[in-house]
Amino acid sequence: MIRQIIAKEILENLLSFRFVLSLLLTILLFTVSGLVFVGRYYMQSGDYWAKTNENLTDFRGHSDQLYRLLFCKQNAWRKPKPLSLCVEGSEKSLPNCFSFDAFSAGFPQIQGRSNFTLSYFNSIDWAFIISMIFSFLALVFAYDTVSGEKEGGTLRQMLANTIPRHHVLLGKYVGVMFTIGIPLCIGLLVSLIIVVFSHAAVISGWDWLRLLAIFVLSLLYLSIFVLLAVFVSSRTAHAANSMVILLLVWVVFVILVPSFGRIISDALGKTPNPAELERQLAAISADLWAHSDQFGERAGSASTDPKWPGNNPPARARLRNAVTEAQNQAREDYHNRMLAQAFDGRRLTCVSPTVAYQRVCEAIAGTGISRCVELRRQIKEYQTTLKEYVHTKDQEDPNSLHLMFPEQSMVGAWRAISHDPVDFDTVPKFEERDFTLDQSLGLAISDVGLLVLFNLVFFAAAWISFMRYDVR
Amino acid sequence: MIWRIAKNEFLLHLMTFKFAAGTVVCIILTAVFMPILVKDYQQRLHTYDENVSYNEAELHKVVVYKNITPTIYRRPSVLAAFSQGLEKQLGNSATINYNEVPEIGAGSVNHYMSIFSIFDASLIFKIVLSVLALLVAYDAVSGERERGTLRLLLSGSAARYQVLLGKLLAGLMVLVVPVAVAFALGLAIALSFRMVGLTGSDWIRVAIMFLASLVFVATVYNLGLLFSCLARRSAVSLVLSLFLWIVFVLVIPNGSVYLATQLLPVESEDKVNEQIALLQRDSQREFQKESQASGRTIPPGSSSTSDAVSCGGFGHGYIRSCNDVLMEYNLIRYGIGVPIEIKYAEKYAEAEYGRLRTLFEQRRRANNFARTSPMFLYESMMSALAGTDMASFQHFIEGVRGYRKDIIEYIRARTDNFRAAIFFTPCTKEEMVTRPRGDDAPPLDLSDLPRFRYEVDMAGIRRRVVVDLGLLVFENLLFFTLAFLAFVRYDVR
Repeated sequence: MIRQIIAKEILENLLSFRFVLSLLLTILLFTVSGLVFVGRYYMQSGDYWAKTNENLTDFRGHSDQLYRLLFCKQNAWRKPKPLSLCVEGSEKSLPNCFSFDAFSAGFPQIQGRSNFTLSYFNSIDWAFIISMIFSFLALVFAYDTVSGEKEGGTLRQMLANTIPRHHVLLGKYVGVMFTIGIPLCIGLLVSLIIVVFSHAAVISGWDWLRLLAIFVLSLLYLSIFVLLAVFVSSRTAHAANSMVILLLVWVVFVILVPSFGRIISDALGKTPNPAELERQLAAISADLWAHSDQFGERAGSASTDPKWPGNNPPARARLRNAVTEAQNQAREDYHNRMLAQAFDGRRLTCVSPTVAYQRVCEAIAGTGISRCVELRRQIKEYQTTLKEYVHTKDQEDPNSLHLMFPEQSMVGAWRAISHDPVDFDTVPKFEERDFTLDQSLGLAISDVGLLVLFNLVFFAAAWISFMRYDVR
Repeated sequence: MIWRIAKNEFLLHLMTFKFAAGTVVCIILTAVFMPILVKDYQQRLHTYDENVSYNEAELHKVVVYKNITPTIYRRPSVLAAFSQGLEKQLGNSATINYNEVPEIGAGSVNHYMSIFSIFDASLIFKIVLSVLALLVAYDAVSGERERGTLRLLLSGSAARYQVLLGKLLAGLMVLVVPVAVAFALGLAIALSFRMVGLTGSDWIRVAIMFLASLVFVATVYNLGLLFSCLARRSAVSLVLSLFLWIVFVLVIPNGSVYLATQLLPVESEDKVNEQIALLQRDSQREFQKESQASGRTIPPGSSSTSDAVSCGGFGHGYIRSCNDVLMEYNLIRYGIGVPIEIKYAEKYAEAEYGRLRTLFEQRRRANNFARTSPMFLYESMMSALAGTDMASFQHFIEGVRGYRKDIIEYIRARTDNFRAAIFFTPCTKEEMVTRPRGDDAPPLDLSDLPRFRYEVDMAGIRRRVVVDLGLLVFENLLFFTLAFLAFVRYDVR
């Protein structure tokens, strides 16, 4: 019996005007999304490889003397990802360039082709289409499932038979899910076909698994809205009223709540003030230089002439390392505060399934803000590796003072670190590593839980309401 | 007759569930979020005050003229609570420097916050009120036909245009209520906070914001009316108008930016950097040429000589005591070098501006595409009125550029065209013998230093708003005319 109800729901929907309209809209959007992705990916890959090679050439140039490797200003660029087709994670407006040398890393910057004068906008990626448009379609298909049939008088007839109520409810739910599943699958296929046949991006084996996961999560997300619509529909007597409520709920959940994040975290915590950081850095340096004698005699004065008797290299190294360390710490604190602001905002807006969905998609595709954090972590790891490498190589040189500190002129003039050339192939180079499956899962698990929870809550609500629904 | 229909409709609407739900949501959202928005403004104002007083304190520490590099901060706009615009996206400060022309930039904002879209009061108005307008309008004609009351209405003496005008009037009267309540509530909350005061021009701008909101709501209502006249069943008109709403709110604003970036790709900044590097080489060459022409030579050993350098305002050091070699070296370096650097700063800015122009053009095109959406028109008007749109930032930067010129002229007049020693050292003839150390040099008397003054560009705002408002009114008329045409031929059976 339940199969008949499902079949009836699907057929009824398939022939409706709203289905045709939504099918056209989704095919259009997914086609645009695929084409836009291909164009963007070509451009980004071109830029990425050009910049990365430039950076590598520059780094190679520094390998003629070991100490210069330490002072090479390297730039790490975000590698374009095939899975940003699914969710770009506002990467356009997130920093894409991370500059660093062996001692310190600057704040991530936005460089290249981005236009800072454009206001932040959503990319037309899968996550956008599904979280915004499809959630709305889910409501459009489901708002009259119960109250509409009541108004039509068919609900009475149906329940006058021997069908239990929960069969009707499940049948309707599955029917609507199938109905939106059809345009979803068609859209995703269109988009994938465009990408695969353009040969722009190669989607590898594991990526397919991630794509599948995103598809399943999308269904889970849409199911929340279907259940919500069924719930509201079985709380109201008129289909028009259920649409009004659903529309307002949708506006709040999907459009308003995700934007609350910024304003809430701005108002809660103190926004980091860049001018204050500058003042703090200057104060740190002034303070340490004023008490430079604590690092050894004459640490504050040094000459590039190695024979000058005033030089005290170990003291100088201690002073310089202390200043850089303290400043790095201040920068790191500042950076952490910037990150905390963003993450706090997001955490507070999790009451909206849209935020949870967006975040879980980013975790699985390995894009978005978590990726920036991960990239910066990898850079720090790399800095340690590079320093260790230089340290080991430096031990081979008997003429070197074996002192590593961030002052290029003195390190060079005093031969504090070896000046011998090194084989560039043995030098560790920075390369961004993707999220491993473990990392993705770790990031995703809480949001999957949230999505499931939303489903359960609305399912229970719909169930109870429908069981007590007055069909007259 | 029109009035009677309007009154009747108005009273009917007031008692509907959708009107109650929409108004309540609007009021709750305003009541909850306005305090947060205002608190945020207060916080930014606090940071601004901190920065300004730091600046002022540093100005009193300045010992030599080259260290006069104040940073000008843009005062946060009090109306940003209504429309945030680019307020948190663009840098809100510019440093005055003789070797650099200030330019608009992304600044040192927290880029990570870009994962959130903008939230301000105009978002609540834009989204909730437009949905409400559609909900009020969608069954105005098709709903009455379904219920059969349209037939009755038209069988009376009322002409069709009277019926439609009556419905328009009723819709507007209904929608004025939530708009006015939300505005009044928002303003009352904002004014109840400390530090928030509105000046005369602010009140005018708030009044125009209110007017713009009304015109906007009327546009959406007319759109709903149009679909109501086109469709036979009210469910169809609702679905159709909501689809169009989605297109206006989500697809067009995002899509137009894409279109603009596709049609006019931005060059990478490498080219500009190369150009600037070339110019820098030119400037060095010019410096060498000029110093040779002056017949003075840089004394040998000067570059490796250093002397006590300490804090002299704005985090810069200065030369406390000089010997002959250092003095001559710096007199040449600054006396000849600074005028050249000032000249080249303009050239760098010109090169930089070439790229910026593309960015602005991209933005202009994106905005023009997006102007097909009434939601965008509304947003653009609100941010112009709040003084948070691009043009306001440009106006600010232009002001800072003018101020930089004033400062340069001031320093030029005081230092004999940068040729006096006081530009870089307070060391006098006698002190060159005694060679004092420490921070005992007296600060400069800068009481007559020109001050930065910034006025909101009301004329510019008026110009920008009039265009958008005109477009919105046009859309209004267009939708209503179309609705009228459709209604004249509407089959009431």
